[in-house]
Amino acid sequence: MAADKQTKLLAKQLFKLSVVNGVVSPEQVAGVLGWVEKTSPHRPVALLKAYQHRIALELAKSRAEVEHAGPVGDATLKQIEAAMTKRYARPVTATAKANPKLLAGLRVRVGSDIYESSVAGQLATLSV
Amino acid sequence: MSNVIEQIESQIAKLSTKVARKNTGLIRTIADGVAKIEGLSDVMYNEMVSFPGGVIGIALNLEEDEVGCVILGDVSQLKQGDEVATTGKLLSIPVGKALLGRVVDALGRPVDGKGPIDSKETYPVEKIAPGIIVRKSVSQPLFTGIMAIDSMIPIGRGQRELIIGDRGTGKTTICIDTIINQARINKVGLASGDKGFRPVYSIYVAVGQKQSNIVRTISALEAADALQYTIIVAAPAADNPANQYLAPFSGAALGEWFMENGMDALIVYDDLSKHAVAYRQISLILKRPSGREAYPGDVFYLHSRLLERSARLDGKGSLTALPVIETQAGDVSAYIPTNVISITDGQIFLETDLFNQGIRPAVSVGLSVSRVGSSAQIKVTKQVGGKLKGELAQFRELAAFAQFGSDLDAKTKATLDRGARIVELFKQPQLNPVAIEVQASVLWVLQKSYFDSLEVKHIVTAANSLKDYLTSRKADLLTQIRNEAKLTDPIETGLKAAADEWKNTFSAK
Repeated sequence: MAADKQTKLLAKQLFKLSVVNGVVSPEQVAGVLGWVEKTSPHRPVALLKAYQHRIALELAKSRAEVEHAGPVGDATLKQIEAAMTKRYARPVTATAKANPKLLAGLRVRVGSDIYESSVAGQLATLSV
Repeated sequence: MSNVIEQIESQIAKLSTKVARKNTGLIRTIADGVAKIEGLSDVMYNEMVSFPGGVIGIALNLEEDEVGCVILGDVSQLKQGDEVATTGKLLSIPVGKALLGRVVDALGRPVDGKGPIDSKETYPVEKIAPGIIVRKSVSQPLFTGIMAIDSMIPIGRGQRELIIGDRGTGKTTICIDTIINQARINKVGLASGDKGFRPVYSIYVAVGQKQSNIVRTISALEAADALQYTIIVAAPAADNPANQYLAPFSGAALGEWFMENGMDALIVYDDLSKHAVAYRQISLILKRPSGREAYPGDVFYLHSRLLERSARLDGKGSLTALPVIETQAGDVSAYIPTNVISITDGQIFLETDLFNQGIRPAVSVGLSVSRVGSSAQIKVTKQVGGKLKGELAQFRELAAFAQFGSDLDAKTKATLDRGARIVELFKQPQLNPVAIEVQASVLWVLQKSYFDSLEVKHIVTAANSLKDYLTSRKADLLTQIRNEAKLTDPIETGLKAAADEWKNTFSAK
């Protein structure tokens, strides 16, 4: 069931409470979940889904998903982490994910940004 | 063999290893040609957004956690969860003279089956209108070829003149006649070798019309050999509302290119009522708050920012706009008509009653006005037609009173007779614009009372006969009137001689 306007607004307020200094705080999240359990607000499932969606989007901003076709070393991941941390002015952690469809090269996703340096990406550009 | 290896190596070296950054999002919902997208954190307002399969959309609603995009193509292959990306480009279309004679869609893509368009330039569809410093007042005429308009409601280059009326009153016909007249003037002007001659290129934007009507318009322009000076932007009723919303702006971009490059252009928006309806549809789907008649609050801005792009620029060219509005049962006080009336520099109001009485073009003299006034008329038209509007207004007033009584004094009768003759004289068949020199000559003949001895029912025949006589036998006199653009003694003598000769031949029939 889709969240109504009020539920979305409440989810937004709870989300704001969960972020401390631009980072999602596990303690605050636990506090929010405890409050929801205790008070059982209107449409709790829709509320929690909307809240979870916002938290997931926020966490994605601090995570660099590195897709790769060939092997990728820890040093490369560290380099990517450092570059992204500097670029977004927030701590970013890199996680590797194998994707043979890339043929060669890397694709890094941070939030809604994609950094494309793969052969598949270049071929896709040529095909347009 | 080593040569081949070297070639491959150099090709590899050329390959770009640069990292390409793109801002992406995911389709959350898609319905009625509008997609709600999650992500796209860097998207700009009115930016082109790339959907899978080469489909393009425009970001119109930038909200806190989602972006509303209208899709300008086939939505059948798109689904929830598809990835979209920003392009970093505002919507632009190809422009230039290569588009003349072509029919394009709202994105400037050819739809006439005549092959690709070789255009080297592009122009943004949305652009801020020229400011007040760069503008120049409207003082050069743009002849429609319609006697009632050119003599009483003159249109100047850079003006916005609204054509308003109920359905089936001849709004499109006036626009087509004007386009045909521009083509005719262009041919004469370019053939004359006059270096100061400025041709007028036309753009016809068809919004929400039946495909058959658009085809009819194209055929009419082709038959009159006017298509070579015209670009047609087609967003028919079958097209999605996003394209119907964009088409007038695309047309304005095409026209602005001519204006910015020192040329004159005429643009017809046929019609803005349907444009407002398309915009209302998009706005409602985007869940924007609705106001009067369910139109969004910025429907005035929609049309004002479009029509303000028509101007005459100092040291450059001009863009003249003829927006069309369809009224319901003659109600000019409805929402969209009053909006557009207040934006434009005058209106030509077409009345159903006049149309049904056979007075075509059915221009209502009382309700029609050109705020540019006589500054957009050449001197000869002012000399022969300066009093016509007043005479017709007097005629209408007296005609209403004359219905109640039969005893009329001589002066009233003379005014009624003169008015009835003017009304007959202004009757003009469609797709048959009249050159300004012929118009001036006919009006001179009217002013000199040559038609007074004729019965009112014979005026149309007499006027046609006079036009034929002048064009076939007095071409030199007409050329002289066209070149001098004012009544001089030799011209008046020539006109008198011609009128006497014509009167004798016409009376002899």
